[in-house]
Amino acid sequence: MLNRETGKKSSIGSGFVVGDGRQVATNYHVIGQVILEPDEFYISYLGKDGREGEMKLLGLDVAHDLALLGVEEPLGEPMKTSPLPPRGAPIFAMGNPLDLGLTIAVGTNGGILNQTDDSRILFSGSLNPGMSGGPTFNEQGEVIGINVATARNSISFIVPSRFLTELVERAATADFDGSEDLRKEVARQVLAYENRYFQQLLAADWPGLDLRQFTLPGIISPTVRCWDNSARLSTAARYRRLQIRCGNQNHIYLDEENKFVGNLVYEYYWLESDALNPTQFYNLYEYLNKDQIDSKLDRDIVSNFSCGTWFVDIATQEFKTNLCRREYVEYPGMSDVLFTAAMTGYKDRGLFITLTATGVDYEASLPLIQKFLEQVQWRP
Amino acid sequence: MASLILEIATRGLHRYQGLEKPVTTVGRALDNDVILSDPTVAPYHARIVRHDDGRIEIVNLAEVNPTRVGGKRIDALLTAELPIELEIGRVQLQVLDRDQPVAATRPLAGNGRRSHLFGHAYWAILLVLACLALGGLEFYQSAYNSFRWSDLLKYVMRETMLSLGALILSLAILERLLVHRWEIRQLVTAVALTFLLYHATGWLADTLDYLFSANWPGTLLYFGWYLLAVPCAIALYLIHISHLRQGRGILLAILIASPIAVPGLLQSPRLHALLDDFSSSARYHNQLSAMNLHFAPRVSIETFIDEAKHLDAGQFAN
Repeated sequence: MLNRETGKKSSIGSGFVVGDGRQVATNYHVIGQVILEPDEFYISYLGKDGREGEMKLLGLDVAHDLALLGVEEPLGEPMKTSPLPPRGAPIFAMGNPLDLGLTIAVGTNGGILNQTDDSRILFSGSLNPGMSGGPTFNEQGEVIGINVATARNSISFIVPSRFLTELVERAATADFDGSEDLRKEVARQVLAYENRYFQQLLAADWPGLDLRQFTLPGIISPTVRCWDNSARLSTAARYRRLQIRCGNQNHIYLDEENKFVGNLVYEYYWLESDALNPTQFYNLYEYLNKDQIDSKLDRDIVSNFSCGTWFVDIATQEFKTNLCRREYVEYPGMSDVLFTAAMTGYKDRGLFITLTATGVDYEASLPLIQKFLEQVQWRP
Repeated sequence: MASLILEIATRGLHRYQGLEKPVTTVGRALDNDVILSDPTVAPYHARIVRHDDGRIEIVNLAEVNPTRVGGKRIDALLTAELPIELEIGRVQLQVLDRDQPVAATRPLAGNGRRSHLFGHAYWAILLVLACLALGGLEFYQSAYNSFRWSDLLKYVMRETMLSLGALILSLAILERLLVHRWEIRQLVTAVALTFLLYHATGWLADTLDYLFSANWPGTLLYFGWYLLAVPCAIALYLIHISHLRQGRGILLAILIASPIAVPGLLQSPRLHALLDDFSSSARYHNQLSAMNLHFAPRVSIETFIDEAKHLDAGQFAN
């Protein structure tokens, strides 16, 4: 990626030839800035034979962090793709780490991370900055995926090649209009992905999770993990606080500033005490009832939150609930949603629920919240 | 001939000097009849002449800061009308008729009566004790961890006592400068009463906010407290306890209230919410109450979801 004014590289990534030889696959996050700010940046390639040239965008898959670029002249033989080898098989990630030159990182296939649409392959090799967008091969030299991210210490992630195959097919049939505001296209793709994800959640059976007198939505999808998050209280504490935090691992790269969306997090706090008087208990309860959304985004990126308050009957118990939404300035239709509910009516116990979803369609999030609340059960 | 007297306005009690002689000289030099030791007064500044026909003549003698009568510069002025308002340098004087009636006597606040809040030290002590008890109660109600009386005592001493003491001391000094008297007993009563009212208002604000599931009742009370209640209370104190004139009392009340109210208001989250300032965190209605009194009806999940469809989209900051 080069700056139009200085003509110098602003960032680098890797890519590889696919399709008919005039297409190059890479990560969306490698070229995100250039397609969102085409007046400032452009993408160029540097072939093995020293040829250089500008590339244009042919297609995007934001949810799987893929982009397809096109060049005028064929660049070489397209690479053959192949399904994933068995778990434990050696695989090889190729790329240009830190602009040091082409290297290969060796590791093994850790298998598909989960059974959902955004499946990623766990890779035991080291991916470094600059290797993003490069191919991952099996032992036969066929592409099984695209390097995408790392969690350091040889825990890296690969996007399966089937999403690339789909993208190449889509690009061949539909003419991609690169002239329209690409943020709209990005928003459309993110929302379509999120809506599909929500549909899956709504269709699924949700196992329950027991927390004192409640049965609450537990691991509602294979993408979700739940952790005990109970804080270690002082030995002098005259109350008990139990905390469970569940969330998915979806991180959809949006852009340099907004970073990631696609997070769904729900938390439960159970608070009880037989030593505190009602006022003491409610002072503490109110103190814990705080904003749980932790993305510190600026006013250029999001609107203020708009909130409403209701007293809702959930599983025969009264809850004071708040629902808030905020909009993304540059991505039409995309919102962050924050839901909170605090059980009222007991002097010595309380349940506080929060649910946040980032980068979603507000309307589409409501059925999810409805199902979430309908799943709550109370045991007297 | 009317018996005349010259009133010289000074801080504290005014000075009075009878005008017995036909000619009275006013100035800074020590051989004047009326000596005004102010640097803006000329050595021989003015002459007050009593004519046989009862009229009074004011003659200016000063080149620097000439004498003013009724706000106008004069060289000489002959008049029969009393009172005559004079400005000599920056000193204000009045020529008055001794027979002129004076305003009715204003009773001392409380006048030592036990039944009157400002009348007896007994009330001051009682109210301070109530403040300390309130401080202790606040500490007790936020003691989520183990509660110890020694901690409560420490808190009351450090927080309540210190803040009350600092406020009383600074206001007492201010009062000493303004009215040239110490009125500690009345001041302690007033400060303690304000402290109690402040906490009562805060409690009322929380209760009303929860009752209406909204922030406007608390915001209204909060702004009303700082912008209306505090200046009014100070003005009433200055006028009725310190016996300042009304205009002066109101002006001083605004001056004293501003440094108390303005910084607090500007930094208040309520002001930011009112102006809809940008915030990356949600200002939702997180208040909870053990009493759980609220006007909003308890609704079903379906109703909640239906109504939530009409939640306004967030407003972009410009």
